[in-house]
Amino acid sequence: MTHRDRLHLWGLLGPVTLFLGVFFLIPLLTIALYSILTPGLYGGVEWAFYHWNYGRIFGWADGIDEVFEPVYLQILARSLGLALTTVLLCLAICYPVAFWVAWLPQRWRMLFLFLIALPFFASLIVRLYAWLLILKPSGLLNTVLLATGLISEPLDLLYTPSAVVLGMVYIFLPFMFLPLFAAIDTLDAALIEASADLGAKPWQTFLKVIFPMTLPGVVAGSVIVFIPAVGNFIVPDILGGAKGLMTGNLIEQQFLSSRNWPFGSALAMVVMAVVLGALTIFATRAKKAGGAA
Amino acid sequence: MKRSFLTLFALGFFAFLYVPLFVIIGYSFNANPVNMLIWDGFTLDWYRGLLGLGTPGLDAQNRGIYIESTPQLLAALKTSLIVACSTTVISTIFGTSLALALARFQFRAKPLYTGGLMLPIMMPDIVLGIGLLIFFSTIGLRLSILTIVLGQCTFLTSYVCITVQARLAGLDPALEEASADLGANAWTTFRKVTLPQLAPGLVGGALLAFIISMDDLVITYFISGTGSQTLPIYIFGMIRRGVKPEINAIATLIILASMLVAALGLWLRARQDRS
Repeated sequence: MTHRDRLHLWGLLGPVTLFLGVFFLIPLLTIALYSILTPGLYGGVEWAFYHWNYGRIFGWADGIDEVFEPVYLQILARSLGLALTTVLLCLAICYPVAFWVAWLPQRWRMLFLFLIALPFFASLIVRLYAWLLILKPSGLLNTVLLATGLISEPLDLLYTPSAVVLGMVYIFLPFMFLPLFAAIDTLDAALIEASADLGAKPWQTFLKVIFPMTLPGVVAGSVIVFIPAVGNFIVPDILGGAKGLMTGNLIEQQFLSSRNWPFGSALAMVVMAVVLGALTIFATRAKKAGGAA
Repeated sequence: MKRSFLTLFALGFFAFLYVPLFVIIGYSFNANPVNMLIWDGFTLDWYRGLLGLGTPGLDAQNRGIYIESTPQLLAALKTSLIVACSTTVISTIFGTSLALALARFQFRAKPLYTGGLMLPIMMPDIVLGIGLLIFFSTIGLRLSILTIVLGQCTFLTSYVCITVQARLAGLDPALEEASADLGANAWTTFRKVTLPQLAPGLVGGALLAFIISMDDLVITYFISGTGSQTLPIYIFGMIRRGVKPEINAIATLIILASMLVAALGLWLRARQDRS
């Protein structure tokens, strides 16, 4: 590389590297640092090492290892369960629809892909708000159900775990659909026909030919849905009840109401660890699947 | 038989996607100021109020019902627009220079950059949000429009870079070499050869950055101060306080505006793919 080339390269890279170094990397490192600092009495932080932030998450009370109560682990488990449920439901809904769109004539396909991508751009908060209108005791769904005589009293739909799952699935559907569609669209129809010609039953063809070939799309979609789902606090905040506290809500509370930043940072570190773990599992699975196919 | 079942399922899917949006639009014309879920006739009052043409729900005000104030709402919209315009410009410059460096040069730290590029996108929003909050408070920078812009640019740069990279991959480097061979200097080559070819990718990236910036809730939630609320943050607050009828009108306008911008972007891309 000539001197002039080097100058051009660093002219391009320098400013953006400096910016991301200061406003992206350093903030991430400060979370790691804060997670091992002592929470101050009135919401501040004391610059002394403290390992009980993590201890608390795993069930020990602040600094006193007498009362063991894994309440935060339960919340973490609940968040993981919610994220996994969201992933599976999105997958179950998008998989058949992706086939339907892939089998459409070319001209129609563009239109329907467009229709799927479009709601994704309509503000997230507005789309969640719509479900508030629908699920309220006096909301649209109850009104319709009451009017048709299917129920005699309004159902309690809002502020339930199901409402949270519904909201999550609703906002994350396009994330699952697009990678899934990309995989399904490139399926080689000849292989499916070959499988049928060789005497495989339809379910065998699906399990042994179609599903393995679409696995990269399944994995990509699952990852893209899972990651923002784990730490999400907006959906539980708007559609969930008091009992549906998720890790995201817990972190938010530590920063904006309880003002225990070190504990909140420790929680965020755990969420990061979970995400990294999930990514590693997905990546190795995808590699294995890629090797087999 | 099986095919028609699949079609039915797909139609259900599209209904699921779109019915909630139409519900909001429908309710935004409901005249009932007390219970917006009970239909009480058609009105454009909420829109009039938002656009500053008369007082929304005049009757409602006479009956002493609190109406969300229009100036606050417009201030939030203004904040959102200032933030989105600044972040779009900055992240487009950063993202494009990063994409150019990655496409045109070989250097040792390259894998670090290509990997790091995905980090802001793959990371849970909330983690970046609190990281920025801790960082800004540690260095003593007060939360304001500035902190929102700085914070949003970190992840928007990645989105722009990836969009521009896709366009760069399809360009012919021979054209740039030809330009250099014919005696143009690097800057002229960039301006007259690279940039015009790159333009669709640039516009696409900038549009994406603008849309994501306007809609960002989680990260902005942690780094916006009391005096610098963006529109999504303001609406989030409104929903938490208990909803008022004009929120339907605001939401409808947001749906229409964002879909218009998105439709424009998708159309531009489709046209670019065809050419």
